Amino acid sequence: MTDDEVASLLRSDLPLVTIEAPAGCGKTHQGSSFAMDAASALSKGRVLILTHTHAARSVFAARTRAVANRVEIRTIDSFLTEIASIYHRTLDLPPDVAGWARENDRYDVVAARCRQLLESSAIVAGAASQRYPIIICDEHQDATADQHHAVVAVHSAGSILRLFGDPMQVIFADSEAEIRATLGRWAALKDAGGWGELSTPHRWISGTPELGEWILDARRALSNGGSIDLTGSLPPGLRVLFAENSAQVAHKAIGMSREHRAPISSLLRQSEQLLVMTVGNERVAHLNAFFGRSVRIWEGHTRNHLSALAACIRNHTGDLDAIADGFLSFVYATSVRFSASSHGNRLKAEVQQRCARPARGMPGQLQAIASHLIAEPSHRGVAKALEHLIGLVERKENGFSDIEFDLKSEVRDAVRMGAFDVAADGFAEITRRRTFSHAQPPRKCLSTIHKSKGLECANALIMMCDRSAFSGTEYKRRLLYVGLSRAKEKLTLIVSQNNATPLFNVPG
Amino acid sequence: MVEQPRIKYLAISKFRGIDSLEWRPDRRINILIGGGDSGKSTVLHAVSLLFSPTNTIQVLETDYLNRSTKEGFSIEAVVEIPIEVGISDHQQALWPWEWDGQKAILPDPSHEGRPNQAVFKFRVRGTDELEPVWEVVQPNEDVVAFSVGLRRKIGVVRLANDDRNDRDLRLVSGSALDRLLSKGNLKSRINKQVSDANISDALLKDEKDSLATLGVAMREAGLPYDLDLGLTSSQGLSIGALIGLLASKDGVMLPLASWGAGTRRMSALEVAGATEAATRLTIIDEIERGLEPYRLRQLIAKLTKDESQCFVTTHSAVAISAATEAALWFMDSKAKIGPLPHDKIANQQRRDPETFLAKIPVIAEGVTEVGFLRFLLRNAFTARPEDHGVRVCDGGGNETMMGLLQGLSEGGLVLGAFCDNEGKSPERWRRISERFGARLFQWRSGCLEENIIAHVRDDQLLALAQEPDGTFGRRMRTLADRLAIKDKDEASILAACGNPERRLAKLRSIIVAAATGNKDGAPDEQTGKEWSKHSQVWFKSLAGGVELGTKMISLSVWPCVEPEILPFINALRATIGDHPLAVGELRP
Repeated sequence: MTDDEVASLLRSDLPLVTIEAPAGCGKTHQGSSFAMDAASALSKGRVLILTHTHAARSVFAARTRAVANRVEIRTIDSFLTEIASIYHRTLDLPPDVAGWARENDRYDVVAARCRQLLESSAIVAGAASQRYPIIICDEHQDATADQHHAVVAVHSAGSILRLFGDPMQVIFADSEAEIRATLGRWAALKDAGGWGELSTPHRWISGTPELGEWILDARRALSNGGSIDLTGSLPPGLRVLFAENSAQVAHKAIGMSREHRAPISSLLRQSEQLLVMTVGNERVAHLNAFFGRSVRIWEGHTRNHLSALAACIRNHTGDLDAIADGFLSFVYATSVRFSASSHGNRLKAEVQQRCARPARGMPGQLQAIASHLIAEPSHRGVAKALEHLIGLVERKENGFSDIEFDLKSEVRDAVRMGAFDVAADGFAEITRRRTFSHAQPPRKCLSTIHKSKGLECANALIMMCDRSAFSGTEYKRRLLYVGLSRAKEKLTLIVSQNNATPLFNVPG
Repeated sequence: MVEQPRIKYLAISKFRGIDSLEWRPDRRINILIGGGDSGKSTVLHAVSLLFSPTNTIQVLETDYLNRSTKEGFSIEAVVEIPIEVGISDHQQALWPWEWDGQKAILPDPSHEGRPNQAVFKFRVRGTDELEPVWEVVQPNEDVVAFSVGLRRKIGVVRLANDDRNDRDLRLVSGSALDRLLSKGNLKSRINKQVSDANISDALLKDEKDSLATLGVAMREAGLPYDLDLGLTSSQGLSIGALIGLLASKDGVMLPLASWGAGTRRMSALEVAGATEAATRLTIIDEIERGLEPYRLRQLIAKLTKDESQCFVTTHSAVAISAATEAALWFMDSKAKIGPLPHDKIANQQRRDPETFLAKIPVIAEGVTEVGFLRFLLRNAFTARPEDHGVRVCDGGGNETMMGLLQGLSEGGLVLGAFCDNEGKSPERWRRISERFGARLFQWRSGCLEENIIAHVRDDQLLALAQEPDGTFGRRMRTLADRLAIKDKDEASILAACGNPERRLAKLRSIIVAAATGNKDGAPDEQTGKEWSKHSQVWFKSLAGGVELGTKMISLSVWPCVEPEILPFINALRATIGDHPLAVGELRP
């Protein structure tokens, strides 16, 4: 379908229009230009754009600034959370629904209750549809069933609905069954209203157009259950390097022979910018070691470990044991070579004995850390203990010189939280600042494919492309597609032949 | 026709003389009646303050109950808001509550598809700093500002009872005229027109010279010079307040504001009504003000036809009788608003609208009882009954009256009642009697005529047949008819009454039967019809009731019935603060 055809379909009278939008095909442009036109024509209410990420929210905000008073852009979580807060008493939720959902990661509960409310109360759904006569959903494939039905309930109450999404980018589902359910919902939308598909790879026009076409072909193959052929001639911009993981326990590390490693190292060295993608946080850690910690880890916009720490502090301030456990779990998760056996158990023992016996050297330092927690079993004690530990690591004190903090942003934010009077306020404020600052990844960075979703860059590298990373499941097909579609100019794949993924058709 | 906003529930707390009030007004016209100082105008004022089209309202210390500003006051309303108001355009999202018929509730996600109505909760509070704060209460009890813009969109049209109220006829922000006319920047266009007017042309030569001299002096003092006169706007004085509606009177354009109160008020409503697609709540204090009965009826007919919700106070019987479609409410001295249910009071509203405006209405069963009671109560109070606000009203018969008494007393009116005992509906009468106490008078048995005639001495029975003009003929004729004799002289009638021992008892019963129009024993239907009209020949008229009272005195019956009636009279006296009378004290 041409861009013009999609544009006129969006502007038709149909109450519901769904646009299938492969990565890089101008979905944001179509969405925001439709939002501008629709907002200008509205006499009452406003256009609501629902995104899944704050990054997408700010992109839409920038593009619709001219009609900002008639367009409201929200993440779907924040939209549903607002409704849930307003009606929290009847939904059996605490008054501060936003804080509760954020700290306990219960946006799913919020969505479920909100859906039930919107489906059962014509009044609430009606009020929402009067306020938002037009609703545009971005990345709708990422909507859970509850989120989807909540939006549909408002649509049924009268709002015009325009959905953008890509079933090939469903990568946040918990199971194959859930993916199939999402695909089922998506397929059902085809019959429910207008249907269109974007097919011009705009992202690559200024970079390597042939790469863009090749990625659309690859998407088709992955979508149809087939595999991507790497045996023939490859388009400009695509490079395939064959290499094998030589680590003794292949799922615990990545190692390589010198000749396999050489081109990768040189690529890294020569690139001014490079996004290295892999599957899963563990592989990120392995690659981090593989590159000798020379490439920064992109932590994305989530702070899972910080959230857990904040929840622990909220529930257990004053309870020394629990606070110490929360502190240790946080440090284990964000650093390397600080484990229970190396440091944690001793620190815990010091906490339990209230640093009764004098100690020197490393145990003495652990005692100093413990004493911060003992003095203030709260976010402040945790922050001081962390700061102390960071100091020891930076000064390479005996017993601490090997430790490295991989998730620097999480650690930095946890220290910041100590400066607030109330932990929850600090967590909320830090989250808010991160939400609005839209940090960009470093020029060279190491990321999971998950965290790279929504990013685009000139050069990208995916490793390892092997059976362990990319089996043939619906999920892995989509994960591979998301990875493939990030780079505009040069994409490099590190492909295994010994442990070949069924998603690539590789020579002999 | 646009849908209109409607107040479903109003709660006032510690505002002016009202400590606490809850009210669920009708969706159309609401007429508030009640004694002086009961707080009717306060209720109207509260509604108009809540939807005030301006923020520059001054809250006074006297707006607080007992002038105690410390506790603040609050006026809260649950309101049905139509789409036309554009609440969805409000800067901040305002979320609805559900109306369950009694109150605003939260939607219950476990009950699907209840056809409840969306409502919003608005509030204005007077703070201890004498500031009014307008708020929308969200379903989670959070409050957001109830903006002046939204209040204007809801659009209160208020005709207050102060003499110079012509706000809605001026171009003041949010006035009816402003809502009708202002599209975009009308006021700035007017400003420009006025500024362009050449005012200095009005100056005489002397005055121009003075200005020029001043100019020279200013120039020498190093101040701005080259002086002229023109429009200078100033804080607190808007051009809109100076611009008002003019109308031609004998060829001269006069401000409508200088017409009479009635015309002004009617015009303001016309202006509000002419604004298409604009919603409104109408508030009219003392609707009769400045209006002749015919214009008052016109106005009420107009409000009845109009779909918008109105709040009206009145002291006018004309207004009450005309407002057949309105919901009537009685506000008692404790600021409680009670409904006067239409099905129970509609007849009375038509028959005797003043019933609702008396301080102490006394409902008498029928016309005879009205005459009798007016006679009996002549001397029952320190001043004339009407001077105390005591009004004897015709209740329209036993059955009708029972409903009326229930309706009025449920509404909170304090009233008396005087009625027969027909032995019907004992349970309902018992409940009424519990509510009324001694203010309900009901004969132990039978009716007024029966009870008075019963005590007339045998030898004076036929004195009852003498009409006030001295003639006997018509009443004697009714007795003769009942005895089926031709002659109507005393001897013939007595003779027809049977043997001498039973004769007088028979005569008495025949008189009672004739006076009450009893048709028992009539030989045929036609005769029965005639017999039932006999009562009119006797006492069944206003004058007849008075006559019966007079005869009660002249025939020395009063001492016999006094013990039964006196508690009732004393109960009425108590309502106006008079001490009880002892037996023998009252001389009707």
